[in-house]
Amino acid sequence: MEDLFDYLSSFAIVFCVINTLLYMFRFRGNNRAFKIFTVYLVVIAVIQLNASFLKYLVPINNNLFLFHFYYILQFIFLTLFYEELLKKKWMYAVLLIVLGIITFQFIQAPTMFFRYNPLGVTITQGCIVIYSIIYLYKYLHNTNEYLVINIGLFFYLLSSILIFASGNLVFNMEIITRYGYQLLLNVNNVLYLGLQFLIFVAWWKNYSKETIK
Amino acid sequence: MVEELLQGDNQIINIILIAIALLIVMGLAIVFFFYFSRKRIIKSELEKANLKIANQKNVLQATIITQEEERKRIAQDLHDAISSKLNIVSLNANMLSLKDISSEETNKIANSILKVTGNVLESSRKIAHDLLPPTLDKFGLEAALEELCEEVADTNTFQVDCNIEYPEHFLTKDEELHVFRIVQELFNNSIKYSEATKLNLHSETKEDRLIFQYTDNGKGFNVSTAKKAKGLGMSGIENRVAILNATHTIISSPGNGISVTLTLNPSNNED
Repeated sequence: MEDLFDYLSSFAIVFCVINTLLYMFRFRGNNRAFKIFTVYLVVIAVIQLNASFLKYLVPINNNLFLFHFYYILQFIFLTLFYEELLKKKWMYAVLLIVLGIITFQFIQAPTMFFRYNPLGVTITQGCIVIYSIIYLYKYLHNTNEYLVINIGLFFYLLSSILIFASGNLVFNMEIITRYGYQLLLNVNNVLYLGLQFLIFVAWWKNYSKETIK
Repeated sequence: MVEELLQGDNQIINIILIAIALLIVMGLAIVFFFYFSRKRIIKSELEKANLKIANQKNVLQATIITQEEERKRIAQDLHDAISSKLNIVSLNANMLSLKDISSEETNKIANSILKVTGNVLESSRKIAHDLLPPTLDKFGLEAALEELCEEVADTNTFQVDCNIEYPEHFLTKDEELHVFRIVQELFNNSIKYSEATKLNLHSETKEDRLIFQYTDNGKGFNVSTAKKAKGLGMSGIENRVAILNATHTIISSPGNGISVTLTLNPSNNED
């Protein structure tokens, strides 16, 4: 069972890298939203690879500081992505306010850098989930190429809020066995695979064939 | 694995897992909700589009029928007023070509030909005039409508009261023709069906809008049943009003004549 999840985790990373490459190949000739999304994929893939390199190559126990890069950069790029799709200027204001809150947190407690940040994760991912619902509502009448990606982001970000938000609690508790903690990470991995799969489906449906626009 | 999960130590993990499962279920519910709403909206939009197409088909059909009726009428007019008379001319001319014919007879035949050709000329002018009144093209809507009123008044069966005020270039040429046809149709209906004695056409500009008011004192009709029956004349008026992007109201009831108000906005394209 442990082995299976190990493979799953590696597979998720490989899948993520493949998707990133696929999107990068279609970078030219697509619209701004596509470009922003591709940059987001690249950033996330780099963070993922960093995390696994640290895990396998360098014997560091705590790679949690990467997690801060993950959710903050994810929030920035996905806000830009949804702003491009929804054309709502107030999203920039939300972006600045949330970044302000997180900066304030870091100033208050710099040690937070090596722990999970439940509040930050909840706010950033929650905002993106709300954007994705607004997007669903906006495109109720007609279809759009990002519908599948949107549903993937909606599911993954909604369900992973809880996993990341409970990170500190689970991580610090003596009573909880290593197994329980691992189980949560594995659930996260499965969900993440789902997201990558949907991103791949979106690519397959919309961009696999070179189209002349 | 199950035993491990059920142990007290793992209760927090359990709760978190259950909460995640609930979130996923809720997420699914939201996505399905949007999916089915979307389906329904698309379906209703399709129905709307179909209705629109059906309506357009009706309009097209009405247009074709009107066109055919009009052709029939023109053919009849040509046949009655021109062909038959030209026949007489041809016959007379044939007689002229006969050798044993006295000069007195020649004079008589020539006079007859002259008279008949004069008639034919008058008829053809009248037919052309009916098809497209030259006044409208040359002197504009106001003059054309006044002429129309005079023509109806000349029949001496109606007392026509015409009071037209039309700012020039308020409408384009095409739109003017539509208005003219609408008024013509209203007069025609009154003449044909209403048994009216007084006809009244009045127009004025109010707050940048041109308002036509037409009334007669005929026997009137039930508007809602007439709308269902949709005679060609009425649907023609409605189509023209739609093309003009104007609004119209028809008020009538049996025994009370008819009152039609047509409100027009100024033409957008300046020409």
